[in-house]
Amino acid sequence: MPGFVCIAALATMLSAYSGASSSEGNGPVQPVQFRHTIHVDTLKMNCLYCHFSANKSFDPGLPAVGTCMGCHTVIAGSSDGNKAEIKKLVGFWGKNQPVPWIRIHKLPEYVHFPHMRHVNAGVTCQTCHGQIQSMKQVYQASSLNMGWCINCHIGQSNPPFRARYDCSSCHY
Amino acid sequence: MSAEKETPAVAPGGVKRREFLKVLGVGTAATTMLGCTSEKVEKLIPYLVSPDQTVPGVSSYYASTCRECSAACGIIAETRDGRTIKLEGNPEHPVNRGALCARGQSALQGLYNPDRHRGPLVRRNGRLESIGWDEALQIFAQKLGEVRSRGGAAGAVFINQHESGSFPGFLDSWLSGFGMPAHLSYDAGADHAAIAANRQSYGVAWPRLDFRAARLVVSIGADFLDSWGAMVPQQLDFADARADHDKAPRLIYVGPRRSLTGLNADQWIDCRPGSEMSIVRMLAGQLPVEAASQATGVAAPVLQAFAREFAATTPSMVLAGGGGADALEVALAANALNQSKGNVGVTIKPAEGYLGFDGMASPAELRALATRMNSGGVSLLMVRGANPAFTLPKSVGFAEAMAKVPFKVSFSSYPDETSELADLILPDHHTLEQWGDAEPVRGTISLQQPTMDPVFNTRATSDVLIALAKKDPGAAARYPLADYRSWLISRFPGGAAGLTHALPHGIVSGSLGAAATARPVPAVVAGKPIEQSSGNMYLVVYSHPFLADGRGANKPWLQEIPDPVTKICWQTVAEMNPATAEKMGLANGDHVTIQTAAGTLTLPVLQYPGTQRETVAIATGRGHPHSGRYAKAGSNPLEILPAIEDRAGGVVFVSTKANVAKAAGHAFIVTTEGSARQHGRGIGQAIAIADLRAGRPGHDTGAENVAEVAEAAGIEEPARDNPEATTEHGEEMPGDPEHKFLPGLRSPVANDAEGEQGTQRSNIKGMYDPNHWSGMAKRRWAMTVDLSRCTGCAACVSACYAENNIPTVGADWQTGKVLPDRTGFGANILRSREMAWIRIERYYEGGEDGGADFDTRFVPMMCQHCGNAPCEPVCPVYATYHSPDGLNVQVYNRCVGTRYCSNNCPYKVRYFNWFGYGEPARSQYAFPEPLNWQLNPDVTVRGKGVMEKCSFCVQRIREAENRATAEKRTLKPDEFTTACAAGCPSRALVFGDAADENWTVAQMAKDSRAYHVFEELNTYTAVVYLKKVNHPNPAVGTA
Amino acid sequence: MATLTKPVPAKDEPRRPNIATGDVQLPAVRDYEQVDREIIGTLHPTVAWFIGLGVAVFFLIVGASAWMYQIYNGLGVAGYNPPVMWGVYIITFVFWVGIGHAGTLISAILYLFRAGFRTTIYRCAEAMTVFAVMTAGLFPILHLGRPWKFFWLIPYPNWRYIWPQFKSPLVWDVFAILTYLTVSATFLYIGLIPDIAVLRDREKISPIRKRIFAQLSLGWRNTDREWRHFARAYLFLAAFSTPLVLSVHSVVSFDFAMALTPGWHTTIFPPYFVAGAIFSGIGMVFTIIIPLRKFFGLKHYVTINHLDAAAKLALFTSLVVGCAYMNEWFVAWFSGNEFEKAFFANRIWGQWWWASAILYTCNMVLPLSLFVQKLRRNAAWLFIISFTINIGMWFERFVIVVPSLSHEFEPWQWTSYRPTWVDYAILCGSFGWFSMWFLLFIKQLPVIAITEVKEIVPPKLRLAHPHGISPSGEHFDFEADTPGEHD
Repeated sequence: MPGFVCIAALATMLSAYSGASSSEGNGPVQPVQFRHTIHVDTLKMNCLYCHFSANKSFDPGLPAVGTCMGCHTVIAGSSDGNKAEIKKLVGFWGKNQPVPWIRIHKLPEYVHFPHMRHVNAGVTCQTCHGQIQSMKQVYQASSLNMGWCINCHIGQSNPPFRARYDCSSCHY
Repeated sequence: MSAEKETPAVAPGGVKRREFLKVLGVGTAATTMLGCTSEKVEKLIPYLVSPDQTVPGVSSYYASTCRECSAACGIIAETRDGRTIKLEGNPEHPVNRGALCARGQSALQGLYNPDRHRGPLVRRNGRLESIGWDEALQIFAQKLGEVRSRGGAAGAVFINQHESGSFPGFLDSWLSGFGMPAHLSYDAGADHAAIAANRQSYGVAWPRLDFRAARLVVSIGADFLDSWGAMVPQQLDFADARADHDKAPRLIYVGPRRSLTGLNADQWIDCRPGSEMSIVRMLAGQLPVEAASQATGVAAPVLQAFAREFAATTPSMVLAGGGGADALEVALAANALNQSKGNVGVTIKPAEGYLGFDGMASPAELRALATRMNSGGVSLLMVRGANPAFTLPKSVGFAEAMAKVPFKVSFSSYPDETSELADLILPDHHTLEQWGDAEPVRGTISLQQPTMDPVFNTRATSDVLIALAKKDPGAAARYPLADYRSWLISRFPGGAAGLTHALPHGIVSGSLGAAATARPVPAVVAGKPIEQSSGNMYLVVYSHPFLADGRGANKPWLQEIPDPVTKICWQTVAEMNPATAEKMGLANGDHVTIQTAAGTLTLPVLQYPGTQRETVAIATGRGHPHSGRYAKAGSNPLEILPAIEDRAGGVVFVSTKANVAKAAGHAFIVTTEGSARQHGRGIGQAIAIADLRAGRPGHDTGAENVAEVAEAAGIEEPARDNPEATTEHGEEMPGDPEHKFLPGLRSPVANDAEGEQGTQRSNIKGMYDPNHWSGMAKRRWAMTVDLSRCTGCAACVSACYAENNIPTVGADWQTGKVLPDRTGFGANILRSREMAWIRIERYYEGGEDGGADFDTRFVPMMCQHCGNAPCEPVCPVYATYHSPDGLNVQVYNRCVGTRYCSNNCPYKVRYFNWFGYGEPARSQYAFPEPLNWQLNPDVTVRGKGVMEKCSFCVQRIREAENRATAEKRTLKPDEFTTACAAGCPSRALVFGDAADENWTVAQMAKDSRAYHVFEELNTYTAVVYLKKVNHPNPAVGTA
Repeated sequence: MATLTKPVPAKDEPRRPNIATGDVQLPAVRDYEQVDREIIGTLHPTVAWFIGLGVAVFFLIVGASAWMYQIYNGLGVAGYNPPVMWGVYIITFVFWVGIGHAGTLISAILYLFRAGFRTTIYRCAEAMTVFAVMTAGLFPILHLGRPWKFFWLIPYPNWRYIWPQFKSPLVWDVFAILTYLTVSATFLYIGLIPDIAVLRDREKISPIRKRIFAQLSLGWRNTDREWRHFARAYLFLAAFSTPLVLSVHSVVSFDFAMALTPGWHTTIFPPYFVAGAIFSGIGMVFTIIIPLRKFFGLKHYVTINHLDAAAKLALFTSLVVGCAYMNEWFVAWFSGNEFEKAFFANRIWGQWWWASAILYTCNMVLPLSLFVQKLRRNAAWLFIISFTINIGMWFERFVIVVPSLSHEFEPWQWTSYRPTWVDYAILCGSFGWFSMWFLLFIKQLPVIAITEVKEIVPPKLRLAHPHGISPSGEHFDFEADTPGEHD
């Protein structure tokens, strides 16, 4: 009987410890199946081309539909699958509608995460977002839990990666 | 919310510059802090076409002009993701020099006001229905046609909220185009008597008051710190003058009620209402002191000393406001005094005058208009901005008269008592949404530009007028231009290019050549002298410093921020002298009926020592029946004010006696004041100028009474009127030259490192080690508060509300409804649940007997960021802790709400979220759409059940650090400041790094007047107060 | 230990624990049969009991729904009036913790001190302790702004990598309360084992009950070996929980003593709180035991002598508390601290004078009546006094919490305080919760310790004798003792 109690307690602790509450791995199907594999891996496009403010703002910047159409007015896609997806995009553009992407990476509002500080310090996108370039469907690669942040913030001791771990660096 | 097509803000790029598409979800939207929200599906909506020049999450700043009063200050609007979130003063602007008052700050709540008209409205069978713009314009054009065809054009009247700049001229030309008379430019808040007198004596409407040059300032009811004239620049000059202690002018306030200006005065002469003239004549030597004493009810010796001092002191400055029946005569006499004493050009500078007050129509003209309307002489009434139906005394009967006008058009952007009566409402843009200009001072044009796309489906009246003209075959030819903006450009020196070049600065040198003409005053209604009116007390109606003539009433900030003088919010009270109230057996909150010839009003009594003994005083601005949800609070004294005008045509606010009688019932006084006396606890300290000069610490926490001054003049230290200041902590009293307490300015951790508190360096770990690479522990963010500058105007409070997403809690639907007798507006304030992170404590010293000789201490009180904070060790979960750079940080999302920190805070500056003020689903929600558009994305909106408090604007600190890092540099001294310090029109607040000598704050803290509040508690606060400097009458002192 | 086989032990022989001194014997109790019969007889549910339980549960429901209402709307619905950030909840918390002190004192400390009069009242007191602490434990959670985050006060490894602030008295509270709850519960259970065995043996009707009792009694077989171990364990636990009696309320008092607030910031709080706690505990014991002995017809078990002895204890603690009050005054004056002085002046002449008046009357003045033996031996009077004590002790906490906070350093922030119906509902709820548990207890388990009573019952072999004989040997007849006490 006490054994059960102990095991239950242990389980609770572990789950709490591992941050089971995070939505790690969440990778919903998007309205338009955007292929990071093609754009990043094959075409070697720079992340900052679309996420244009990741190096100058807290906010990484979400490409406007216009940005997509910059190329896709001329590029119709290679395979049928791609053609279909691009048609959807053109459809939105034609209807003057923004694409209603489903949000995957979300920090609570009480956390202030400065993308530019990280990008400018040379932290790669993959460090937090995982191997985006090889994801057919983007999913949340990291837990984005506080402990997960702290791991870097106390782990790194040399510039440029060393970072503050004072609470008020992110929480205010 | 969606992009408006005919927005004028089109940049050369073709893409609309401030195109605004709602950006949901993207991390910048500040939404309520509620546990873990990662479960629910959230959409991420991109721009359709990304606007150039803007980076998401990075603010852009637009210079514009504040239109909240006639002074036309310069503002810088911070806009993030298409929403204007904060206003600050424009440092380059000659009028306000970077400062901004509470009313200016609150312009945002006008812009995002939840009760604004969503679009055009037309009255059909008695009800206002919303219609499209085209239809609305069609209706209006048709009406115009009818009016003209019937030859009634001459009978059309356009009332415009007074503003300076090109618009009045444009409007008049438009009107004349339709054969209509020039418009009435109406400002109910202005002192028409003073303006008329100034123009007569000095040739300008409003001269610049150079307090620095003066040695003695006599204000006869001229509330130049409240709402009298160009408030912000006057406050700036006054504070600067007072901060130069040796040459500082003494301020003597004469009047029946001690206003904010009066509380800042060194002496108050509580003359009987309506007796100001005899004071002036006494000063001019035309009236013996005894007679003056007779007339004013002020003791002869006091007047004697006053007269002697005035005669002996030059240069001086005499200002007359008052608002009595003889206001014009008093003002003229005062000006004459200035001329005779040679003050003109020295302390009173007509050449540098403010032009915002030219060409005003007096209330008399509107009263005349009312009679015309009654006689059916008005064919068409158009009103823009102004609200005469509310701001004129009810006895004028403007509303009733208005009903007789066949067709009434309102351009008001908000519901108010006037537009309530309109047949057609064509809502105007808010001033932050439209183009415009002003010439606040000669030779400077202040530009007004849209800072964001319109919130609602409104249109700039100027554009509406042009559109109408285009519809009219006759006038169309004269309006080839697309809109008002191009009209401005066409007249702008340098055209479009010049404008584009000037816009970033918001000002450009040049003149609009607006005609500064005095309007003829119609025959005025002169009532019988106040002495002959019946009643047992004098009725004094005064203009509320924030709500003014009532136009601020629907802005929750202005309702919630307590009146700087009475500390009343959300309520209208009848102010009485405590002695009088006692005599009548009236306790605070007892109802009284105030009856005049014009009507009766029942109000709760507030015992305010700053009221003359025979006087009852009431503030204007509250009690709107039709101005929106927040404006309903309080009641309106204009309902019982007889319609009497002074010879300048202004409404006489001190026109009659009233029968004041105790009535049944009792109301709780909605005030943030606990005890108005500081019980000798040395919170707001003062030092006599004599002590300061002599370098004596001048331990004073009590009244600066005459005897004490006399003693201060002697060798030995003045007797201290409060034991504990001396017996216990006497030798360590703040202000001692040794500055024992100054180490407290640095983080105690840093001190420990140097063994200053006995701890060994080995104890210092990680970032708390001054040698840590981040260097955080080397800094100590701190603030100095100069009480000799602070006038208690509460601009800092409003700035804090705007910057830190502080909820207002006073609306009646925000109460928990758990205490039956604690409901209605201000119920939460009654239970002292106001959330202002910075509050202004107003303590009286002396005058316990209800006498006039009391001194006032304004103490801005915010989190003191103690180096040795009592709140930190008691929080069980580390929700509050000490950051290495000396901040006392509150981590909202860690807080579980034990409230122990607040119990342990000696300064009581921690505020708890009793309800879900940030949760839209709640009745307590403080930011009803679209007020929530104003929320600062950098600051978390606190959720239910967590503690919050002043953070020293940590978001600004971190932003500055981010900027510095991006530019690979360290912070520059005084690189940034907090919201409160930035806006302060007295420059009383200085923020910075006290551990670094190069910051101003570090120098300020060295002042000999410096002290910490409750220093004896060893809290090592980061906020250093500099004692107020009192200027007692030197003559009396040596007598 | 079994029964007495011979009269008074000689002087040289050490006295066994728990032997009743002459004045608290149970002469009307003749034999073990009677003990078992009468005490177990109290376990049969009556209508009155069901009604009582119903009332208790009703109050509990009222309180619970009030709490739900508060969680949904926020703490604002309670009467808080900043800076009075603590109110009825913390007051009631301290109140219940205080109640929870008498039990352990009586069962543990008095056991060690060989105070015979504890025998018949300690079971009841101990149960009261456990349930009072269970009640008190609710309030720290209940008064949180975000109660659903209460577990952040408990140190456990988590993915945030942060621990609680161990400097905070509130964290100490968590440990103190939990420890006390655990130990006192264990102590209660251990003491119950032999009694449960009795119940098991005498359970004839329900096999399920029998089975449950068998489980709970851990297969007690009444052997000498078991008795020996039992005595040791009991002694050990008594010794173990004795320091807790002092520590728990000391820690609770730190919640206040560690703060700067005038009226809180004083070193006298720990002893003062402990004394107050015992005082209130005894009060509650009276409130409970006096009706019990009446309705359960146990007057010949809980004799007036027992009450008398307990009343003396109450009187003593009342005097201690009284001294503490006066000492507060002295210190406030002697320290010369203006804030302290101002506060204490306000306490008496300020807006809260009535609360102080109630406090001093109930805790200092009325208990003095217990100097009079007649009153001490008058159950009715004791019952009344016990009520005034409970009220007085609640107001003691009120006077400590509310006036201090409403009249702090910063005059601008001086305010008032007024509880709302939510506060009152939750206050009632706590009594409902407590009563529910206690009522359930007294119908399931013996409210008087069968075993220990048997220890002081005159041995069987003497029963042939027409008179009772005390262990000290002299003869007496039943009627002589405390006339009118048994019917």
